Amino acid sequence: MHPNEVKILNKCLCQMSEAVMAVVKPEMKSYIWLQTADGSVQQVEEEVAVFCPMICREVIQTGMGSSKNYAISLPQRVNPAILGLVLDYCRFHHVPGRSNKECKNFDEKFIRMDTKRLCELTSAADSLQLKPLVDITSRALARIIEGKTPEEIRETFHLPDDLTEEEKLEPLRNITDDPRIRLLNRLYARKRKELKEREKLKNVETVEEQLDDRSVDDLLSFINGGDGDTKVARTNRSKKKNRRRKDQSKVLHDLSSACHVGEVSNGLLASSSTCSKLQDSAVTSFSPNVEFDDGDIDDDIDPAMKEELDREVEDFARRLNSDWPERMQEILSLGQERRLMPICMGKYMSVDQR
Amino acid sequence: MQRMACSFPDEVLEHVFSFVQCDNDRNAISTVCKSWYKIERWSRRRVFVGNCYAISPDMVIRRFPDVRSIELKGKPHFADFNLVPDGWGGYVAPWISAMAAAYPWLEEIRLKRMVITDENLELISKSFKNFKVLVLSSCEGFSTDGLAAIAANCRNLRELDLRESEVEDLSGHWLKHFPDDYTSLVSLNIACLGCEVSFSALERLVGRCPNLRTLRLNRAVPLDKLANLLRRAPQLVELGTGAYSSELRPDVFSNLSGAFSGCKELKSLSGFWDVVPGYLPAVYPICCRLTTLNLSYATIQSPDLIKLVGQCQNLQRLWVLDYIEDAGLDAVAASCKDLRELRVFPSDPYGPEPNVPLTEQGLVSISEGCSKLQSVLYFCRQMSNAALMTIARNRPNMTRFRLCIIEPGTPDYLTLQPLDVGFGAIVEHCKDLQRLSLSGLLTDLVFEYIGTYAKKLEMLSVAFAGESDLGLHHVLSGCEKLRKLEIRDCPFGDKALLANAAKLETMRSLWMSSCSVTFGACKLLGQKMPRLNVEVIDERGTPDSRPESCPIDKLYIYRTVAGSRFDMPGFVWTIDEDSAMRLS
Repeated sequence: MHPNEVKILNKCLCQMSEAVMAVVKPEMKSYIWLQTADGSVQQVEEEVAVFCPMICREVIQTGMGSSKNYAISLPQRVNPAILGLVLDYCRFHHVPGRSNKECKNFDEKFIRMDTKRLCELTSAADSLQLKPLVDITSRALARIIEGKTPEEIRETFHLPDDLTEEEKLEPLRNITDDPRIRLLNRLYARKRKELKEREKLKNVETVEEQLDDRSVDDLLSFINGGDGDTKVARTNRSKKKNRRRKDQSKVLHDLSSACHVGEVSNGLLASSSTCSKLQDSAVTSFSPNVEFDDGDIDDDIDPAMKEELDREVEDFARRLNSDWPERMQEILSLGQERRLMPICMGKYMSVDQR
Repeated sequence: MQRMACSFPDEVLEHVFSFVQCDNDRNAISTVCKSWYKIERWSRRRVFVGNCYAISPDMVIRRFPDVRSIELKGKPHFADFNLVPDGWGGYVAPWISAMAAAYPWLEEIRLKRMVITDENLELISKSFKNFKVLVLSSCEGFSTDGLAAIAANCRNLRELDLRESEVEDLSGHWLKHFPDDYTSLVSLNIACLGCEVSFSALERLVGRCPNLRTLRLNRAVPLDKLANLLRRAPQLVELGTGAYSSELRPDVFSNLSGAFSGCKELKSLSGFWDVVPGYLPAVYPICCRLTTLNLSYATIQSPDLIKLVGQCQNLQRLWVLDYIEDAGLDAVAASCKDLRELRVFPSDPYGPEPNVPLTEQGLVSISEGCSKLQSVLYFCRQMSNAALMTIARNRPNMTRFRLCIIEPGTPDYLTLQPLDVGFGAIVEHCKDLQRLSLSGLLTDLVFEYIGTYAKKLEMLSVAFAGESDLGLHHVLSGCEKLRKLEIRDCPFGDKALLANAAKLETMRSLWMSSCSVTFGACKLLGQKMPRLNVEVIDERGTPDSRPESCPIDKLYIYRTVAGSRFDMPGFVWTIDEDSAMRLS
């Protein structure tokens, strides 16, 4: 009901109950007795209480509430503390003639409470059919929900995480729930931190040279990949962890995270046989607990097919590997000279238009 | 963990959800828990599908049974530059037929870069009794006959917006199909139509729709008719003029000026084809109220532009040709303190030499004078790292920065260095940057900066930049929020792509054309990543006829739960898990 409607109804009721009460208590304000689910009973000014449509209806239809023994039973969702809040709301709003600004100011202050209490209040307001209060509490809850991830929402409202992975993984899904993405994000965060530290230590030029230098080894290592998803490769992993390249202990390069990213993406270029001498790259900065089960990607492919694919991957990796050293030389020499390369491939309209 | 003491009835929760409208928040709500999933899906009224091939219509309908508003996007953004061959796809037909059966109460359809036919339009007009909004942005495949069906049958139509669509103009009479008792039009945008529409029908339509707020005319509407239209709709908020040229006559001028003055609510102006500068003062009376001014078709020179824009103190969005010159942008910086978005388009992009004095200085002035500047699209011919660093420091609140230096590979004109550090400064200072377009001479270093700093970046456009796979790797591994990546003519090959294959599933799409990706890598990706569609677009014939190490022409990768699509033309190849090459 609209607050104004409630006010009108309230006025009629006041007059009715005044007439009734006049017999018993001529000069006093009318009071109503309310009982909450825990059994406790309290007295409330009638004009305030009947602002709640549910209470109002009880008074009209059943005549209850006029004495302690005939207290109106409130719905279960209304406990004494929450009832107090509801009545505070009613006490303010039942007074006619309040300006919009006054009401708004009151509501804004009123709504400030912890989430648990806000939920209880919304629920109670709904059971008492007090729509204006349902509205402002619902809006407040909506604002709490906005901007949060599903995990954060679950924590805030103590909700169970009972959706299956399938149900979560739809294109309209929130991707941070995907365990693979969570892992990637953790890796990115770590790499970010390390890049920051590196920035402090070196200037841009030297870092660049190191970058180039690094990438050969790292790329080759994940191309020849010891950390793939095959049995043979897995036993090599623990051996690798303890070996360190002397000059690479402090600085973590971008592409060593690529090793793990490469693994994460199903060990795409994993080779089941060869373990090149360059495998001992600096992947040790990642915690050994970064176990990742990417088996689910391959679940749909039958073993014979999988073997064939793995063979193709190996073959492809070998081909990539063979011309990489020459390519790297090219790039390194370019990087050092910084010649202007005529990259233009004819006229073009740039990447944007109206 | 303490459980919530209260339990909500579903209706209360639904009521709470009704105050949450943003797509991201609705998506978050739907994956919280089973009960929220259930309630959310039944109460979801609006769905946005960023790639029409990422999901099938049936899946959307199954998941959300009572949708009233849908937005679909089809072709990748680079289709705007003719990089996507005709017939690639983006057909809306399957969506319309599925929704015609499942969503009788559908009210709104918004499409971008999709193909829609007259039959589809007719089906829309007949299937949805309460149909209200049709927005076709950069769409094609239909004619004015389809529009006639919409006009005739959609009794509750509020919005018909054809922004930048390609429409086959069969006749201007389609407007007459709006019934005489139809009065609910709120927004009409026909600016893209080539031929003349029936002007008398237009006048009557405008006259009988009291809620009309947006009217964007096409070029064929002559200037001397504009005044009459305005007088019938003084409540207009947004107006696009037709051709803004006519023989200079004082009576026409005063009529027009009076009509403009009568429009007290007018906030947005566009159109202005073929401008005769003498008529510009007719809009001066309303300039102070304007928040949006689109002069991207107005071939007027700097002095006239300065006079006009100098009066628009409340301007928030300005689209203009580079005729404005640095001097004009100085004037904008001085008068338009509320400017949020600036787009400067090239008047002569294919000319070998600059034709106007518009340089990086104009943008620097704007960055200094307009403290609320958030979004920039700027075409120019010279840039320097120093200017970019100044812009970055001035405007860390920028969210969209698209710089298009017209000649590929143009270095810093002062130092002849690459523009790496300039763009690096942009991504470092503008921490909320969501969209970035690069241009000029750029090495892998700029990508390292982007990967390191651009943590909120969602869309990146790259052309003629970079030196090796490292560049691509930096972006794919560093930009956590990246959703759309489009690349052309860069020396990126297989390695970075394969190393970051998992990243591709977290993005909407990746476009790479004229790069160095081989067919072998595409096959690998297609086989290993069942939730990605890897489309090889090559008009030279089947990629199998060339060595596997031969680079492919165009690559479009997008995540999908709908599997391969069935409407691929002959020049698109995709690879499935069964490692057989699918042709369609």
